[in-house]
Amino acid sequence: MAGVVVKARLARRRTLQVVAANLFRYLVQGAARNWIRNLGGTAPALGSTTLLLLMSGLFAVVGFGLYNLERVEASQASLLHVYIRDDAAGSDILDLETRLERDPRVASVTYVTKAQALLRAQGIPGLPELADSTESNPFPASLDVQVKSIDDVAAIDASIRYDLAVDPTYSTSYDKGAYQRIQNVLFGVAVAGFAFFTVLGFVAVSVTANSIKSAIHARRDEITIMQLVGAPRWMVRGPFVVEGAITGAAAGLIAGLLTFGLTTAGINSASTTSSQLAPGVTVSVAAVAALLVFLAGLALGSGSSLISLRRHLES
Amino acid sequence: MRPISRSRPIVSFQAVSRAYGSRFAVEDIHLTLQSGELAFLVGPSGAGKTTLLKLINREIRPSSGHIWVDGIAAHEVKASRVADIRRRVGVVFQDYKLLPRLTAIENVAFGLQVSDLRVSDQDARSRSLDALEAVGMGDRARAYPHQLSGGQQQRVAVARAVVAEPAVLIADEPTGNLDQDTAWELMDLFEDIAAWGTAVLVATHNIEIVTRLKRRVLTLVHGRLVRDQPAGQTGGMAWLASS
Repeated sequence: MAGVVVKARLARRRTLQVVAANLFRYLVQGAARNWIRNLGGTAPALGSTTLLLLMSGLFAVVGFGLYNLERVEASQASLLHVYIRDDAAGSDILDLETRLERDPRVASVTYVTKAQALLRAQGIPGLPELADSTESNPFPASLDVQVKSIDDVAAIDASIRYDLAVDPTYSTSYDKGAYQRIQNVLFGVAVAGFAFFTVLGFVAVSVTANSIKSAIHARRDEITIMQLVGAPRWMVRGPFVVEGAITGAAAGLIAGLLTFGLTTAGINSASTTSSQLAPGVTVSVAAVAALLVFLAGLALGSGSSLISLRRHLES
Repeated sequence: MRPISRSRPIVSFQAVSRAYGSRFAVEDIHLTLQSGELAFLVGPSGAGKTTLLKLINREIRPSSGHIWVDGIAAHEVKASRVADIRRRVGVVFQDYKLLPRLTAIENVAFGLQVSDLRVSDQDARSRSLDALEAVGMGDRARAYPHQLSGGQQQRVAVARAVVAEPAVLIADEPTGNLDQDTAWELMDLFEDIAAWGTAVLVATHNIEIVTRLKRRVLTLVHGRLVRDQPAGQTGGMAWLASS
């Protein structure tokens, strides 16, 4: 009895090996052979998909940097500097500080002395010269108010602007339109990018689908034979999906490497400014972007093939 | 090859019609093919012969009626299960449809393996060689199609059609590109295949073969089965001479 079970297991394993070998031969090897043979016809699809993926990769990296920049700006915009007049009484300052701390919309309040303000200014490009040009310290003391929601900054600014302790000339750092302007620019970039990539994506999918269509026509007899001898539908369609996936993967690989190379080159050539212009964009981010570009290529190629097969290959 | 078994119905048409728009390609066909039976399907061009063969192979669906192929209801089978029918039906074309990049044995093995992935290379080669030997092409197994004559290519195509031991073999004008001697050799082969137990249905215009073999003859005219002449009888085919 044990011998029968072992033989049955061996037979099952042998069958699995045969199925795997046949699958590899007809789906992968066959598709790769035909892809190489049909490279001339595939070249336009390869080119347009590579271009689309490269631009997508670079756009993603830039978008990631802009997103981080927007987060930094949002964080800074919700930090309200309330400038204290030089001759303000200590009790008035304390009253204002207490009032702000009790406000439920406020996360924290920090008192910054004139000396600390001077120290901070010396770390900002351009300001040390201003500080050195006068003998006295021109920077006022302030209450740094971290507001929980950026939407409440305006209301808090209005509530304390005319307080006795507040400098009547430069009362606060609140700039009504600054954050909104950044958001508008980002929204505009996103809309333009979406429209551009929709058009380019449509072109890439169409060109890849057309290359699969011509591959289907070139192998019409082979398909007919497969269909008529009873090959399952996925077996007939599989090689074309793999062919599309190879096109997408090749395009993704080229575009991924270019994305990685261009991003790291950008990081290295402008190491100081890049952290300010595109915060958070590092070599690791470039590697992840390259991987995503590769996977997107794979999906795009396979998807385009499926679209073409549904249209041009009857069951 | 399949041993001779007791005769049983392999293909059955019950009131089958197929229309293209308002025009019927075949209409109200009643027909049964038994295992081991060789039958000819004749009729003028456009009579519906190819449509009837395509209905057996489920290349097309009937507009109405029922079709049974080796126990499967072809009239209602889902697209995803069509392969189940096709594995039971061998097909031979007028233009052979051999893949030019493959040798004779590879052409036969290709058909066998893509329809059943469990067939190993060794098994596929062995069965393909058997099939080629059965059709008299064992010594040309390594030849490419362009190295073979029309008759030889058609024999390889027949080997590919029967290697999986289908229940029925359909042939659409298989002698159309062959000279008369080669056509007769092919008919001998079809008789052998029928003798093995496969139902064989041959659509043809070749009047000489049809009249001399004295097999069952199904006559289609304007999509209707106007005559079902049993084996052993002759006559009634004057129209073939003028078609």
